[in-house]
Amino acid sequence: MLSLLALLLALALGILLGLLTNVSVPVGLLTYIGVAVLAAIDACLGGVKASLERNFQDNAFISGFITNTLMAAFIVFVGDRIGVRELYLAAVVAFGTRIFRHLGDVRRLLFDRWGWG
Amino acid sequence: MTTPERIPPRDRLMHLRDESVKAMRASEQLVERSFNEARFMASLAIGLALVGFLLVAQMRGQATFSSSLERQSDQNLAIIIEQLTGENNMLRSEVARLQMRLLEAGQASEDRTRVLNEATRELHSVAVIAGLEAASGPGIAVTVEDPDHVLLAQDFVRLINDLRSGGAEAIAINHKRVSATSGFEVSRGHPTLDGTVLASPYEIVALGQPGNLAQSLTMPGGLKSTWTTFPGVTVAVTEENILTVPAADIREFVAGTPVEDAQ
Repeated sequence: MLSLLALLLALALGILLGLLTNVSVPVGLLTYIGVAVLAAIDACLGGVKASLERNFQDNAFISGFITNTLMAAFIVFVGDRIGVRELYLAAVVAFGTRIFRHLGDVRRLLFDRWGWG
Repeated sequence: MTTPERIPPRDRLMHLRDESVKAMRASEQLVERSFNEARFMASLAIGLALVGFLLVAQMRGQATFSSSLERQSDQNLAIIIEQLTGENNMLRSEVARLQMRLLEAGQASEDRTRVLNEATRELHSVAVIAGLEAASGPGIAVTVEDPDHVLLAQDFVRLINDLRSGGAEAIAINHKRVSATSGFEVSRGHPTLDGTVLASPYEIVALGQPGNLAQSLTMPGGLKSTWTTFPGVTVAVTEENILTVPAADIREFVAGTPVEDAQ
């Protein structure tokens, strides 16, 4: 429970940092960073799920985080290059599905832990 | 730790050793696990912070993009163009109106300047005629010698009259301006102008057309021919291009006040 709060605090800290530094993604990179953010959210939810399962493999998390975000951006890039601009939709669908599955798993795990199931 | 009694002491020792090694391994594992957990949670926190940061930056970039023109629909663009055209037209007519006003203002100020210049010129000529200002210009200088003091006040009045007939604009005798209110007298044998005694030789300066002025004095039967018949009197007239007459003493009017708009 305490660790979950700490994670939420980290998320809030990142948002605060973004608000304070007034950084803005350039228009040309919007699609890339958008899909990368989806990948990052997916990786983080996966990490939360793993932590609830008491499966602490930080190597897996870090490598997954990095490769997923980079691959997501790369897919968008390839789509742009080969004229299939909608390729980014594939990444969006894939990561969206994963995000929802992870959310469901996390919910189930939390219910198990708090004895609501 | 319930060890059966029948196990020999040596085996019991061995067993104890195994047990303690196992416990040590377990505790080592526990430490490693908690260490792993801490590392994992730290990286997860960093990842989440990164997600938050990127999310905000992305939203800001998206807001910029949405408000840019290329994101607007064709209908919106048409409306924007229409609005801008209307504004542009309004501003153009405003510019034209202001330019008109500027032109009018310039005209008005030009008119005012012209009127002012005319008034100033008029004021100057009035001041010259009234003797309020010193004046200079072409004219004649008349030198009259009268060692025996035979000239009377009326002779000077005739002199002034003749000069004015010849077009004199400003007259001075012995550097004293003759104004519209000037008067001559004779006091104890000496002619005076406004109370100032005039002594011979009299230096008369009159501004005006030099030829006309000279002629008004030197014509046959004129002042010069009359005065030269007086004993001892000589009259010399010279035409000059630049002569100067001083301003008259300012006199305050007490009895007479201007009648304005007399109708």
